[in-house]
Amino acid sequence: MSHLHVPDGVLPPIVWILGLVLAGLMLVWSAFASRRSGPQVVAYQSALGGIMLAVMALPIPITAFDYCMTLAGPVGVLLPPAAAFQVSFVVTLMLALLGQGGFTVVGLNALVLGLSAVAARPLYRATVAHWGPAPSMAFATAVSQLAASALWAVFLVLSIRLTPGVASEHEVEHTLLMVWRTAGVAVVVPMLLLAVAIEALLGFGLARFLARVRPALLPSVGDGDKAA
Amino acid sequence: MINAFTQIDHLASAGTSPWHRASAIAKLLLVLLHLVLALVVPSWVALAALFLTALVLCVTARVPRRLMLAAATTPLLFSIIFVAAHYHGDVVEAARLLMRPMVVSLSAVWLVSTTPYPDLFAPLSRLLPQRVGDSLFLTYRAVFVLLERVERLWKALRLRGAMARPVRERVAVVGEALGTVVISGFDRSVRLYQVMHLRGHSGRICGCRHYLDLTRSDRWVLVAALWSTALCAVLWRAGGA
Repeated sequence: MSHLHVPDGVLPPIVWILGLVLAGLMLVWSAFASRRSGPQVVAYQSALGGIMLAVMALPIPITAFDYCMTLAGPVGVLLPPAAAFQVSFVVTLMLALLGQGGFTVVGLNALVLGLSAVAARPLYRATVAHWGPAPSMAFATAVSQLAASALWAVFLVLSIRLTPGVASEHEVEHTLLMVWRTAGVAVVVPMLLLAVAIEALLGFGLARFLARVRPALLPSVGDGDKAA
Repeated sequence: MINAFTQIDHLASAGTSPWHRASAIAKLLLVLLHLVLALVVPSWVALAALFLTALVLCVTARVPRRLMLAAATTPLLFSIIFVAAHYHGDVVEAARLLMRPMVVSLSAVWLVSTTPYPDLFAPLSRLLPQRVGDSLFLTYRAVFVLLERVERLWKALRLRGAMARPVRERVAVVGEALGTVVISGFDRSVRLYQVMHLRGHSGRICGCRHYLDLTRSDRWVLVAALWSTALCAVLWRAGGA
């Protein structure tokens, strides 16, 4: 749920242009925030971006369905916020070049995936002293995924509201609300919760392993909240 | 997606069609033109003609059928959701919403299948902040090594029965296994940094400038651009736009 596979030509221009502008501003911020970090951080963030892309190709079988992971939360914990946003943008751009999500929605996709990644580290830091690495990683992943899903929903609602011809039609709005109250609650919400639970469990396993084998890769409470 | 990545990369570097010989900048501009046309053309007939043009581009570039099919159908699911949400009897609008993404998606696959990644990323990296541009190159480079590793890891997990466990345990085990990939990615990044340092990394990966080298094959790209523009101009009002 932290990646919009929305293709080109279906969202109203105002929404995707706004997305591109906001993502551009976030990129400028991230470049400014990470100006002092060395090439080693670029190499590390690229490796994690590569892992994100590689992992997105892995379907986890859950009963009859396969779920594709994003790893946005765990990558967000392992990287500082600015680097995490840059990774989200690069991954989104590469997916667009492969036909997964349109070029015009690269900005929106980067914002949705980026929010999940940027929010994870502060959440992890706030809880790790009390709960330990694995539960904190699971918590940070779950909350950041939910926040990204909420942003995803906001973009979709905005798109429908701002589409010329639909904006003024109460009938369409009424139908959509009805569909949401029935199918949405019965199908979308359980699927979303399942997806969040899977990502959180993945984060849990990942942090448990790293805490045991290479704890230095996990941020500690005393690291300070540097954006870079 | 693992196969898609490797297939596209192989085709982009080893392909011999005139599209492969054309310059990256010309092909990028053609795809940009297709994107703009797909977004602004009001006629579904013109969009269908543009779709056929993109299909011909892919066929002549010898893009595998499976890749073309995936590119054309992946955006369909989401277009159908939007069509269902917006549908109020206007078939033409529905046809437009279905055609637009397919045109752009096929054009994108044609672009990445005919252009090696250094040529493709070099102009993009010049538009992005330095670190993001560098990350674009390094991420793509890392993907292949990590894909191989993730694939091996996945096979090992299956063979050792990790996927036969209850779902909760299964996911946590996959998470632990991913830890090994993260550590290997970190170690690779340290080595890569040292190599960059030794080779006198100046603080920016610029990519090559081949993307600007115009070739004779660019004439074909120009013909395709003129054809697409003329097609849309002639069919602008066709089909009840």
